[in-house]
Amino acid sequence: MKTLKLITISLLLVAFCGSSVLAVEGGNDRKGKYLFKKSCKTCHTDGAEGGVVTPLSKTMSQWDRFFSKGKHAPAAWEGFSEQDLLDINQFLYDHAVDSEQPETCG
Amino acid sequence: MNRFIFLLLTSLLLIPGSLLAAQPTLEELQQQIADIVEEIEELQDRVSKPERHAATDRISWYGDLRVKADTLHYNKVTWNPGIQLDYADFGAKMAAWNAIAADAGDPRQAAVTNALTNFGAFQAGLSSEQQAVMGAGMAAAGAGQSVSPFMLAPTKKTSDINNDILYTTRLRLGMKAEIASNMDFSGRLSMYKNWGDSTGTKVFDSWNAFTMDGTDGGSTSGDFLRVERAYFNWKDIGGTPFYLSIGRRPSTSGSPANYRNNELRGGTPSGHMVDFNFDGITIGYKLEELTGIEGQAIRFCYGQGFESEWGNGEMFNDTSTANIEDTHLGGFNIDAYNDGATLVQMTLFRAQDVNDGFKGTFAFPTAYAQLFAPTMYTDMQAFKNMNFVVRYTPSTVIGDINLAGINFAREEENGFVWFGALGMTQLVPNGKAGMFGGLGTDAVFEATLTEDNSKIYMAPARAENSDTQEGYGVYVGIQAPAPMGRVGLEYNYGSEYWTPFTQAQDDAMGSKLATRGHAGEAYYIVDINKNAFIKVGGIYYDYEYTGSGSPVGKPQKIDDIKKGTAYSLMPVVDTAYDLYASMTFKF
Repeated sequence: MKTLKLITISLLLVAFCGSSVLAVEGGNDRKGKYLFKKSCKTCHTDGAEGGVVTPLSKTMSQWDRFFSKGKHAPAAWEGFSEQDLLDINQFLYDHAVDSEQPETCG
Repeated sequence: MNRFIFLLLTSLLLIPGSLLAAQPTLEELQQQIADIVEEIEELQDRVSKPERHAATDRISWYGDLRVKADTLHYNKVTWNPGIQLDYADFGAKMAAWNAIAADAGDPRQAAVTNALTNFGAFQAGLSSEQQAVMGAGMAAAGAGQSVSPFMLAPTKKTSDINNDILYTTRLRLGMKAEIASNMDFSGRLSMYKNWGDSTGTKVFDSWNAFTMDGTDGGSTSGDFLRVERAYFNWKDIGGTPFYLSIGRRPSTSGSPANYRNNELRGGTPSGHMVDFNFDGITIGYKLEELTGIEGQAIRFCYGQGFESEWGNGEMFNDTSTANIEDTHLGGFNIDAYNDGATLVQMTLFRAQDVNDGFKGTFAFPTAYAQLFAPTMYTDMQAFKNMNFVVRYTPSTVIGDINLAGINFAREEENGFVWFGALGMTQLVPNGKAGMFGGLGTDAVFEATLTEDNSKIYMAPARAENSDTQEGYGVYVGIQAPAPMGRVGLEYNYGSEYWTPFTQAQDDAMGSKLATRGHAGEAYYIVDINKNAFIKVGGIYYDYEYTGSGSPVGKPQKIDDIKKGTAYSLMPVVDTAYDLYASMTFKF
């Protein structure tokens, strides 16, 4: 039992000494999804002006660069607040092609 | 890239000379352009390497490594092995065999006399407890109740067992590859071992000690890297919402059992009903495109859990293994609603022609030789620390199993998660039984002579009954944000006949969701960073009935086993707890 206590304490110490290396932060994935579907999908669907865009279109770091450099045509982003854009960024980042994905079939 | 250089040079040439007056000289600009060209060429070289790598490296790898320490404590582990014996049949046969032994003209006389002599010696060697149970059985047969228990061990043994520390390492290597725009491959190689053991087998003292196809991803089985999953997806077939997926299925760690593992939904079926490796086929239809309900999908799943002929020595036409049926599995797996935050899932599943076990390997327990193979036990006593490895093959189709369940999980915006699942399992026995019993019923043994008539042994003849039995299970849990991570609380209950296919859950003491009784778990997950976390927690098991995780045999009340009024071929645990700490690294 002493061994277990020692291990537990050691693991917790490691955890509390650990550093956070999250990329995009502060966005709300759920709200981002809602905004993306409501606003972005009007242009970014098959046959529409913007072409098909899904979270899988880019890697996590590519989405971060896309938003940090403001690469989208500015007019389309005019209606969004900074927080809205952060939420959309978070959603796209969290579901990017190299993010963790549910492992179901189909 | 060449076009870029051309445009750059052209634009530079078009700049009016007046503007250049105060600027660097032509020679300096030429030098700068030469430097830029050189740099671009170098970049081209560097980019072509990853481009070439991406084009030729067709499999994308990812994975995780988990190291875990468990301290395991079992309270009141009781081993009181026994069988149900047909005493009326036994009495009749003994009379017949005694008649043969008395008939000098019967060619079997000598052999049967020898068998009776040996059995007499065996009977004389029974403990007083065993003789009392046998006497009661004979008396009951005389009163018209032909089947009663026969106690196999001289006395029951009860003890507490403590394993202060068990270390395990689990390595999972995931694979993804694109075959075509609507086809892809997924796979997962998995190694799960306890430290200091790579034999690949364990002495057979519980279901968890059986190395077999359906559970070897969730039960420690040495340093072998096994193929846990390998399947393709063919989506949007003919431009329709149909998809087809065939191979070794993603059928473990489904919702809502994924939250405690701190991972996304790990498999297609409900984690409450099915956590088992299958080989099979899924035909799915994305109903969302028809109904507009987000994430709605219906899937028909088919699989095979047991192959009866191939590999079983069918060429010998041995009736003990060659005349049984394949086990087929089929059912519907429906995502009624799935928007990424809320999942409502329904499961309907049937296992047809279930056998009294699966193919698998284990180390033969010396204790079983003592009970069932006294001749072999005579030699094995000289090698008590050696257990030969056997390949087990079931012997009898014992019936069908039906499963039905519904599960719900909700991830709130504030990070709070809550879920619940209800399940029903139905055992439909066919009246047959192998050594460990029928489907939810015990085997009735009959006294039998060996082929040369020289020994009497007890052989399973039939199941005690063929009554259909239903079991029920419930599973609820929450996960809440906590400093540096999240905490979770989970509870599950299984009734007497609760029999889900969750044996591949990799809990050290065996699948907690298969518990016939109560199980509670509390844990704390601490994020070190996005790809690494620590988990500390504990699971408490309170078993009410025997046979958790096994469809074979009649569940007995744990209290009756402890009191010695009921029997089980496998050791039985009353309560147990597992305290654990793990570190997981995703890459």
